[in-house]
Amino acid sequence: MKTLKLSLHQSLALVAGLLGIFAIVAGNPYKGNTATMNVKELCLLVERETDHISVDELADWIIKGKADFRLIDVRSEKEFAEYHIPTAENIPVGSLFDAELMRNEKLLLYSEGGIHAAQAWFILKAQQYKNVFILRDGLAEWKDRILFPSISDSATAEVKQAFEKRKVVSKYFGGTPITGASEVSQTKQLAIPKIQMPSGSPAPTGTTKKKKKEGC
Amino acid sequence: MNAPFFKFDYFGEETSLIVAFIIGIGFGFFLERAGFGSGRKLAAQFYLTDLTVFKVMFTAVITAMVGLFWLSVLGLVDLSLVYVSNTFLVPQIVGGLILGVGFVIGGYCPGTSCVAASTGKYDGMIYLLGIIAGIFAFGEAFPLLKDFYTSTAMGKVTLPQLFGISYGLVVFLVILMALGGFVGAEWVEKKFSVKSGGVRK
Repeated sequence: MKTLKLSLHQSLALVAGLLGIFAIVAGNPYKGNTATMNVKELCLLVERETDHISVDELADWIIKGKADFRLIDVRSEKEFAEYHIPTAENIPVGSLFDAELMRNEKLLLYSEGGIHAAQAWFILKAQQYKNVFILRDGLAEWKDRILFPSISDSATAEVKQAFEKRKVVSKYFGGTPITGASEVSQTKQLAIPKIQMPSGSPAPTGTTKKKKKEGC
Repeated sequence: MNAPFFKFDYFGEETSLIVAFIIGIGFGFFLERAGFGSGRKLAAQFYLTDLTVFKVMFTAVITAMVGLFWLSVLGLVDLSLVYVSNTFLVPQIVGGLILGVGFVIGGYCPGTSCVAASTGKYDGMIYLLGIIAGIFAFGEAFPLLKDFYTSTAMGKVTLPQLFGISYGLVVFLVILMALGGFVGAEWVEKKFSVKSGGVRK
């Protein structure tokens, strides 16, 4: 029986050829739109609520000019154009899939009420994004507590004192604090502030951060 | 473990610079070992007497391709996270031609000129100065070139998407092309070195 003797080049070529032939039937290397997740881990995360950020915390972060997170508005472009929390960027839920998000970034999501944000959280978690947070109760809460905080005349002195602080924060973001129960009904007519960073604040570096270039 | 490591946050930005440095050193080392630190060797390609550059580069291409393909099929690499640069067809063809002309005239391509310069070759150092001057001129002239630079944009496109065939088939065809290219290159080398053999050897 004749034994086939191959030179190094020939055997390497043979290996390459075989890998190529098997490649035809190996299927698609792109995972595509499917993701796997550890359900138990997610349950625990949901239960612990460690990924919730309150509107007060967020207001504090923005005022301090904290830049180690990306604030993401998952509502539609139209809603975003009407009003959004300063420093936010718009990535509607539908386009979350091809958004350029990094797995090592801290992402804070918000929507009007919080449902869309929570769903987006799930989508990202399933794709192994580590630091995804949700703004508790969403933009509605932001409007209630930060932009238009209200207080009734019958409030205790303690509450009133705390309200003074809220008033400052509200003004900072261009909102209107409401005093007296009678005015509360007019909330709807209150002007939504223009979208711009409040003056005299440190410029947020979060959104202006240069996008990293990749490739040669 | 899942790759790409950086995007899965296995190491941070600072570490990534060290990793890049190590990979860069490795790249330079193997270019030098393949003989690409010598302008003579590189220029020989255009006289068809020594097609080492073609063979080494094509080997690198199919090694990377086969590696990425099979590792992602096995679930070790998430291919959707591997960076693919945007395609601008016409400007990139023009850019390729300019690079090729520079290669023929200068005897180096950008990577090999760094290798030549670091092994102490004067022509490599001069070439590097040329690169820096070119980068500067391009940067200054960019506003004028911008429209052309961004024309015929095709987005992030890969061959399987472009031709609408399966990824595996592209892998197979490229390997076939490479193997055919290697055989052809050996044949060309033999033919031309025989022709010029009397003069050169």
